[in-house]
Amino acid sequence: MAKLKLASYWASACGGCDVAILDIHEKILDLAAAADIVFWPIATDFKYSDVQAMPDGHIDVTLFHGAVRNSENAHLAHLLRAKTKVLVAFGSCAHIGGIPGLANLFTREEIFRRVYHETPSTVNPEGVEPQTKLAVPEGEITIPEFYNTVKTLGQVVDVDYFMPGCPPTPKQIWSVVQTIVSGQLPPKGSVIGASEKTQCDECPRPRKEKKITGFKRIATAQPDPETCFLEQGFLCMGPVTRGGCDARCQLSGVPCRGCYGPPAGVLDQGAKAISAIASVIEAKEEVEVQRIIDQIPDPLRSFNRFGIPASLITRKVL
Amino acid sequence: MKRISIDPITRLEGHGKIDIFLADDGSVANCYFQVPELRGFEKFVEGMPIEEVPRVVSRICGV
Repeated sequence: MAKLKLASYWASACGGCDVAILDIHEKILDLAAAADIVFWPIATDFKYSDVQAMPDGHIDVTLFHGAVRNSENAHLAHLLRAKTKVLVAFGSCAHIGGIPGLANLFTREEIFRRVYHETPSTVNPEGVEPQTKLAVPEGEITIPEFYNTVKTLGQVVDVDYFMPGCPPTPKQIWSVVQTIVSGQLPPKGSVIGASEKTQCDECPRPRKEKKITGFKRIATAQPDPETCFLEQGFLCMGPVTRGGCDARCQLSGVPCRGCYGPPAGVLDQGAKAISAIASVIEAKEEVEVQRIIDQIPDPLRSFNRFGIPASLITRKVL
Repeated sequence: MKRISIDPITRLEGHGKIDIFLADDGSVANCYFQVPELRGFEKFVEGMPIEEVPRVVSRICGV
């Protein structure tokens, strides 16, 4: 059998997904036996011009990490879509927007003002901001356009499979590699490398009845290591997050923040979280309900940590 | 003026490109290093509970 042609690309990302691939450790040799790397900026020296020169459909599988934040990300999304048979939105950013998607709570102007004018470490007396084109004595140099809104990969191009996680766990990556090599791929559009259940179903902390009479913060209260975080009043996204990571945050002593995205059948993870939390608050009077929910730290970013671009509203609109 | 573009710079975390302009005799007339990416962590962590910040800013660079 001919070796697979494999690409891995980062758009608006941190590189953690690429490192997670390397975290399959010695199995990387098995991967190299089954696939040739044809494009992988973190590890190999292929250029955009090399990808451009490939015939359409040349790459068997592209693992695309990162959100679409700027015009370069969008260009590479379209380019790799054209050159790839099986395009995988790999990791939270490509899947649901990820941490870079938190920027959708602000406008481009608000971000530029903070980054290039207001931060204490900025020295910019002339008020310079990035220009997509700049005339220099030798010619013109360019950078990509910074969009107002972060998008998921699936909002920009047709995606074959979605693999959640920030980052996906090496165990899941290896199982997906084996699936790809075997050619036994599930129906197009499937979420792969994850479970059909929720985080709660995987969490080893025993669950009893949830009756929340107040919310706590791990900065100011010590969680009991054996009891469900939510039962103790620590906000946990486990009930509304897809399983598959083996509860790695809960096992590290912190509540789930939702990086695996919504479980099967859930359209909007943040809305589902509000619904789930509302159903376990123990209060009869409206004023008491208000007192309890006022204790939820930073509800907007806590309920929507990784998935604002994939939510129904996608960004701040007012 | 001849231009050599290195795009992207590889085997590092992040995005970068280099444009090198050559004079007629082949010597380097000028060279521009550019970072064509921004995510805006400086803005979107504002007001976040302090205990949440380490799990967010660790995504500045995951390498």
